Amino acid sequence: MILGATGDLTHRKLVPALYNLAADGELPPGVKIVGLARKDWSDEYFRESLEKVNRAVSRNGHSEELWTEFREGVSYHRSEFQDPAGYQALAERLEAIDRERGGRGNRLYYLASAPEFFDDILERLGEAGLNEDREGCWSRVIVEKPFGTDLPTARHLNRIVNATFEERDTYRIDHYLGKETAQNLMVLRFANAIFEPIWNSRSIDSIQITCAEHFGMEGGRGGYYDQAGALRDMVQNHLLQLLSLVAMEPPTDLSANGVRDEKVKVLRSLRQWDTPELVAANVVRAQYGTGYVDGEAVVGYREEERVDPESMTEAYVALRVLVDTWRWSGVPFYVRMGKRLPKKATEISVHFKEAPGVLFGALPGRVPQGNVLVIRIQPDEGISLRIISKLPGASLRMEPVKMDFHYASSFGKSSPEAYERLLLDAMAGDATLFARRDEVEEAWRFIDHIEHGWHRSDSPPPMAEYASGSWGPQESDALLAGEGRTWRRL
Amino acid sequence: MTTAGTAQLGLEVPIGSIEGELKKLWEADEASTNASMMNLAIYSEDPDSLERNSRAIRELTREHACRAILIGMDRQAPEIRIKSWITAHCHLAHGQKSVCCEQLSFLLEGKAIGRLRNTVFAHLASDLPLVFWWQGELSDLFEPALYGLIDCLVFDSTKWADPLPGFKLIEEAAGDSRNRTAVQDLAWTRSNHFRLAVAGLFDDLVAQRALPEVNEVRLVAHPGQRTTALLLIAWLATQAGWRPGLELGIAAERAAGCAECFRLESREGRSIAVKVEWKEDSAPLGHLEIRAPGCEVSVWRERGSGHLRQRLECPGHQLALSGPADAEDEVALIAEQLSRGGKDALFRKVWPAFLELLGLV
Repeated sequence: MILGATGDLTHRKLVPALYNLAADGELPPGVKIVGLARKDWSDEYFRESLEKVNRAVSRNGHSEELWTEFREGVSYHRSEFQDPAGYQALAERLEAIDRERGGRGNRLYYLASAPEFFDDILERLGEAGLNEDREGCWSRVIVEKPFGTDLPTARHLNRIVNATFEERDTYRIDHYLGKETAQNLMVLRFANAIFEPIWNSRSIDSIQITCAEHFGMEGGRGGYYDQAGALRDMVQNHLLQLLSLVAMEPPTDLSANGVRDEKVKVLRSLRQWDTPELVAANVVRAQYGTGYVDGEAVVGYREEERVDPESMTEAYVALRVLVDTWRWSGVPFYVRMGKRLPKKATEISVHFKEAPGVLFGALPGRVPQGNVLVIRIQPDEGISLRIISKLPGASLRMEPVKMDFHYASSFGKSSPEAYERLLLDAMAGDATLFARRDEVEEAWRFIDHIEHGWHRSDSPPPMAEYASGSWGPQESDALLAGEGRTWRRL
Repeated sequence: MTTAGTAQLGLEVPIGSIEGELKKLWEADEASTNASMMNLAIYSEDPDSLERNSRAIRELTREHACRAILIGMDRQAPEIRIKSWITAHCHLAHGQKSVCCEQLSFLLEGKAIGRLRNTVFAHLASDLPLVFWWQGELSDLFEPALYGLIDCLVFDSTKWADPLPGFKLIEEAAGDSRNRTAVQDLAWTRSNHFRLAVAGLFDDLVAQRALPEVNEVRLVAHPGQRTTALLLIAWLATQAGWRPGLELGIAAERAAGCAECFRLESREGRSIAVKVEWKEDSAPLGHLEIRAPGCEVSVWRERGSGHLRQRLECPGHQLALSGPADAEDEVALIAEQLSRGGKDALFRKVWPAFLELLGLV
């Protein structure tokens, strides 16, 4: 069941993901997809609408033969999100599907609507009894972000969700965790004996997490974004999730709770920037001005469609994060996210300490900067390691070289889309790659302090500005320069 | 640019699709290896430079695997437009494996501040050094935000009509970027073997003993190589310790009636007359004579010759040697520069003396 089925998420991500699972033979047999939304669409219209987009975006291409089979399992149910009768009718429709199939089936509900409807949808599902496990079959819910807009709203949403579904049946989706390289982080760290002994403050100087987007507010996104901002839209969920995977201790096992227990410990260990002074010293917020991206002139953030011309919402944020654990004592994590940057990329870079300068430090000229391990989340998922090498020749000259691993070219088949993996995991009951209630709330606790420093302080830090197409404001560079570091060049 | 010229640049693609098109390029050819040790960006405000620089990259990638980013700018064009092309230069390594380097070419038309910077930043291969070869005069597009991300800036000061402002601009930028950027002037690279030849002669003990007695230096150079010649003199002064602390502004005096003559002062307070003569038929650096009473050290090169001649003549002691001469074309100079890595310690050391001379001559 996809609730909010006429939107972009369903068309561009969810249904293509299900289609590709079917194409790869991964989709369990007998899966039926029912879309619910307010628009007065027919089954046929819904299928045609999905087909049109699937042709354009499907990872495995679009096979007429496969689609003909796939579409038979797709139907549409019209209902207002608040209307109990609509859900009653939905229950009857699902019963009918069960009868056709000759037995009761498991049910997975995906909340793909705008978040303001989550309360109504969950309550109505409960009233219609659609949340109940019956006859050995389960009912689960996937909640799409945002999981609230601050800690109180997140707690409220969690209460509503858990009033309808058990926590074990609740899957808060963060599609970054479904990406191949994000999953590979644990393999890299814990299946390779060479990394874990140096994965600490003795060997690591700093860690950077960058999420760069070259897009601005295309497609009317300004309306939503101007309410959310970079910190709440990306850092609270995706980037803090990545940070927790990088920084967590080895879990006792690979169970969902084993992994999530360790992740939440990291979030609890984040030093809180809980005064306006600490926020000003450790966080930079900025908006983009006019500039050039891909050769085209683009407008500044405040001139974007559906953005308040006097907006104080950040389109860029850079943070210095400290994880107060034994392992990470004194190691800063620099996290940045921005719109209208030169390229689209999400990457984690682990910057190792410099080798002692006793041998090469005495040579004239520069010794190249130290080792960097890069985990590329998107695009071009992969891992690279920068090492220092001698240039061929009689004299001792050093330059950095890069050992590079690309998923796409190394394994000869494309990685599944994040949603494919996550939908399959939810069906299989594996919540490892989904956020738990306490993780979400701990992340909001950290973010809320910063938001308060910006919006509830008598002396909020200024909003910096950067040219579109550049790598962000000078204030962000200064955040690192003050500690003798620079942002990695992507 | 001619159609034949753009054909050299490969496949024309929309700028937003470059990475995707490159991926297709590599997927279509499984027999080749994509290799890259650095980002090599070449920028010119001559819109016809792309074809020429593509040929240069073809040569350079034989020894220096890189991602090449060629940018030609036509600031006089009435409309703001951008065109981009991708191609790969492939060479057989050890006669067997085909090793290829990506080349991305951009033609930027019209005047638009910030577009050059974005074009470079958006197309770098991450974590590899950025060598940026700025061809021709520095312009207002040479800005701190661009400079700050360059690992090695290469330019040829002999192409500048008035070198002093250009060097001052680079000096300012170097200060802003906390000295992270190595600076390489092809005028300096052009004297590499010449300097080695001079230094080699002073390895001789007799020549070493004569060094404190030097009272005259004469250099013949091509008039198009003014900065090359002055860098050589600045190097000589710096290494010989003529005026400890290199206070050339105080020590040097322009001799009356000779715009290219000036005086330096040795450590011992001896006055050294330096004269630079420009000759159209000279090699870039034609003839250097360093004279002390009874002794003369000379290094010279005939125009067009691939060799340098070295001679030391002191009472009862003579030495004649020869060695390789410096390359003259820019591509060979860049290749040599890339082989030497990103170091610029000696060049930086010589820089203050050079700027003093540049301001005087």
